[in-house]
Amino acid sequence: MQHEPVVRLKGVTKKVASKILVENVTLDIPPGQVFGFLGPNGAGKTTTIRMMVGLTSISQGDIQICGYSIKEHFEKAVSHVGAIVENPEMYKFLTGYQNLRHFARMMTGITEARIQEVIQVVGLSNRIHDKVRTYSLGMRQRLGVAQAILHRPKLLILDEPTNGLDPQGIRELRDYLRHLCHEEGTTVFVSSHLLSEMELMCDSVAIIQNGRLIDVRSLNNSSGEGQGSAAETAFLVDEPDKALSILGSGTQQGSLITLKLTRDEIAETNARLVQAGIKVYSIHNVTRSLEEQFLEMTGGDQIG
Amino acid sequence: MGNFLGLVQNENMKIYRRARTWVMLGILIIVTLLIPVLFSMVDYEGNTSVWDSVVLSTTFTFYLCTIFSVIVAADSVAGEFSWGTIKLLLIRPWSRSKILLSKYVSVILFSLLSTLLLAGVSILISSLLFSSTVESGLFPPGKSGLAFTLQYIFCNYVNLFITVAIAFMLSTVFRSGGLAIGLSLFIMFTKGIFTSLFDPDRYAWAKYLIFTQMDLTKYLQSGEGPGGTTLGFSLAVLAVYYIVFLAVSWYVFSKRDIAA
Repeated sequence: MQHEPVVRLKGVTKKVASKILVENVTLDIPPGQVFGFLGPNGAGKTTTIRMMVGLTSISQGDIQICGYSIKEHFEKAVSHVGAIVENPEMYKFLTGYQNLRHFARMMTGITEARIQEVIQVVGLSNRIHDKVRTYSLGMRQRLGVAQAILHRPKLLILDEPTNGLDPQGIRELRDYLRHLCHEEGTTVFVSSHLLSEMELMCDSVAIIQNGRLIDVRSLNNSSGEGQGSAAETAFLVDEPDKALSILGSGTQQGSLITLKLTRDEIAETNARLVQAGIKVYSIHNVTRSLEEQFLEMTGGDQIG
Repeated sequence: MGNFLGLVQNENMKIYRRARTWVMLGILIIVTLLIPVLFSMVDYEGNTSVWDSVVLSTTFTFYLCTIFSVIVAADSVAGEFSWGTIKLLLIRPWSRSKILLSKYVSVILFSLLSTLLLAGVSILISSLLFSSTVESGLFPPGKSGLAFTLQYIFCNYVNLFITVAIAFMLSTVFRSGGLAIGLSLFIMFTKGIFTSLFDPDRYAWAKYLIFTQMDLTKYLQSGEGPGGTTLGFSLAVLAVYYIVFLAVSWYVFSKRDIAA
């Protein structure tokens, strides 16, 4: 990446008593991306996010946001951050609007017009003057997003943002995050254990398990139309045993034969099978979903 | 960055936008009105002065005033934790010290408001019901009723001020409003028992206990308290406790890890 990373985690460790919750996590988050933070329950996602926003102290290492250390220059660092940590809890006895006024007063340069704009964006115009007590979880989630983006932060941190949203709400949130990211250049850091959601939403993901970062990868949404590279290909045939002996390689799963083949090889293989009198019902690319990759990497491990 | 008054305004909003606060202030006004009326009903001979009525009813109503201030103080920090809003509050470009200070200021403002309300309503209703020409037997000679009353209310406010500091500290340390309210009211109601158990006249060390020094009204009648203490001494002991209470609150609040 040509730009300075928005967030820099350097050897971040969190110890509580003798228990290590997050261990030596080093991660750079490049600007202008939707960056996913994946991990099973109890992996240390929320602990890491708490350290990023200064709610929890860092046992070892440091976190920099836009170049400012959250330890040394908390106020400067955190002024670039908007966040929802876990559930979007608001003051229930205040109206949505009063809640936004409350948080607007804590930051500089938020005009009434900006508050109205944000209310529009999250689609709460009709209910903003009702008490938050009367809001549904989805509406609270929207209000949570509203308070997080009020001051146009460079970094938006959302912990499990799709919790409690209906499919339409999820879709809207996804579109909005993409818009924020691509039009306004906001870096969005989203944690989740909903893999399919992350796959649709994120440009890159970091995977954390048992407090350790185990993988960082970018998600290419154009799923592997690679010309020269070999891809797992499955053939559905009527006589798998015979097919296997003709091909001489591959693995069999029921009537599915799976081989690693390039584009040209797929056509060739098909021709060979057909010539040998085997009926080929279908040929498809075995693209492993993020979910499968994730489960493979994290195993079926126990929490803890 | 930003405006500290905005933080205080926020805290005030969180106090006065709750129905509970207005219920408390309403009860305070009603009771403050009611007590002098009851006095006037039993005062057949008409020898109670305006200031007698104010002082006597204040001994009673100030408990209410203290209890309500303690409730507001106890909820100020603990409430944010139980609502979960503390996470949103502490990720703003403000140091934790300033956020805590804004909360403390708003609590003190509430205690001043309720005290002024109490004093004002009490003086108003008493002057309507009682004669201002009657000589009072309650006050030491040479002191005007008004001066004595104001001093009396001030002494009570000092007591309230320290109790509120205790509640605020407990609220910050234990993050539990109930515990903070319970313990600080326990101290308020039992300090008399403590003072008689550990009488500073008998035990020299007892004069350093907070219980024996919280009630300053004793100095209104004589210059010397139990154990030969002076007003200055009592104030110094209270100041030390006060600083410790606030220092503990501040330390715990700034160092604490905010977890679920």
